[in-house]
Amino acid sequence: MIPKKAQEEMIGFVLIIVLVAVIGLIFLGLSLRNPQKEIVESYEVESFIQSFLQYTTDCGNYRENYLPLQKLISACVDGEICLDERESCAVLSSTLTEIIESSWKVEGDRPIQGYELKIVLEDGTDVIPLINKGNVTKNSKGTSQPFTPLGENYKVDFTVYY
Amino acid sequence: MINKRAQLKIQQMVFMLLAVTLFFVLVGMLVLTLKFSGLKESATELEEKNAMLLVTRIANSPEFSCGKSFGNLKTNCIDADKVMMLKTNIDEYDNFWGRETNIEIMKIYPEGDVICTLGNYPDCHIINLQSKEIHIEHSNFVSLCRKDLINGEVYDKCELAKILVSYKDWQEVQE
Repeated sequence: MIPKKAQEEMIGFVLIIVLVAVIGLIFLGLSLRNPQKEIVESYEVESFIQSFLQYTTDCGNYRENYLPLQKLISACVDGEICLDERESCAVLSSTLTEIIESSWKVEGDRPIQGYELKIVLEDGTDVIPLINKGNVTKNSKGTSQPFTPLGENYKVDFTVYY
Repeated sequence: MINKRAQLKIQQMVFMLLAVTLFFVLVGMLVLTLKFSGLKESATELEEKNAMLLVTRIANSPEFSCGKSFGNLKTNCIDADKVMMLKTNIDEYDNFWGRETNIEIMKIYPEGDVICTLGNYPDCHIINLQSKEIHIEHSNFVSLCRKDLINGEVYDKCELAKILVSYKDWQEVQE
């Protein structure tokens, strides 16, 4: 029979081994975990909104021959007509659709699964019909940008699904 | 005279010390091997991080930004005329944005694949600063603005573009 003192030493030894092994495993796990690159980064979505709002459209009014998209939204809210008699809201909707289709391609086996863009007034009314394509998935990156021009306040919401 | 039992104890301790030293030397060598095998990967990761930080801020740097040339101060706005001038003097910016970092600005809307030169500008789509191929990159959306002329009238024309920053892949470098 093994004496009691030897038994205690053995238990102590086993405990130390287990402790060192656990610490080692945790350290190994942490060092092996590499941060994965996101398919869509948050800054991309934010920059996208900021950039497309500066886009010069082919719709003008008596003040400016070619309105930037941000001013075209205000023109649409005010129900203005372009110099070439087109409705500002129709131009806004078609320009935005084309811009998003060029920027976020969802066809085929691309990592982007879908997107949604809405421009809403403070009271929740849509300025233009929702622009969307593809599927709504669990993974998304989105941002909302409020604007306070001289007229009515509105916000631009854009979400990308991947 | 040292008795036999004490000699055995000393021998035991020497063996133990040797075993412990050998163990730590082996562990140290293993750690060093693992660390140095991931050195190129770490260097590439650092380059990638630098490229990501660069891509989020470069549009607002003095070499690229629109400033107040197009009305109010705009964020993420690149002055295309300024970039074309930068391209002609790019030799003075050697390694300015990092080793072997290449920057390209590509129009997204309207789309196209015509490379910009002083001869065809502004009827082109891609401004490649160092005129080198872009391999692995980080990108961000920007607004590419310039002064345009229609019917004798100057106006601000902004288009949607993407800025691409490519970085050095150290894992591709042969020893």
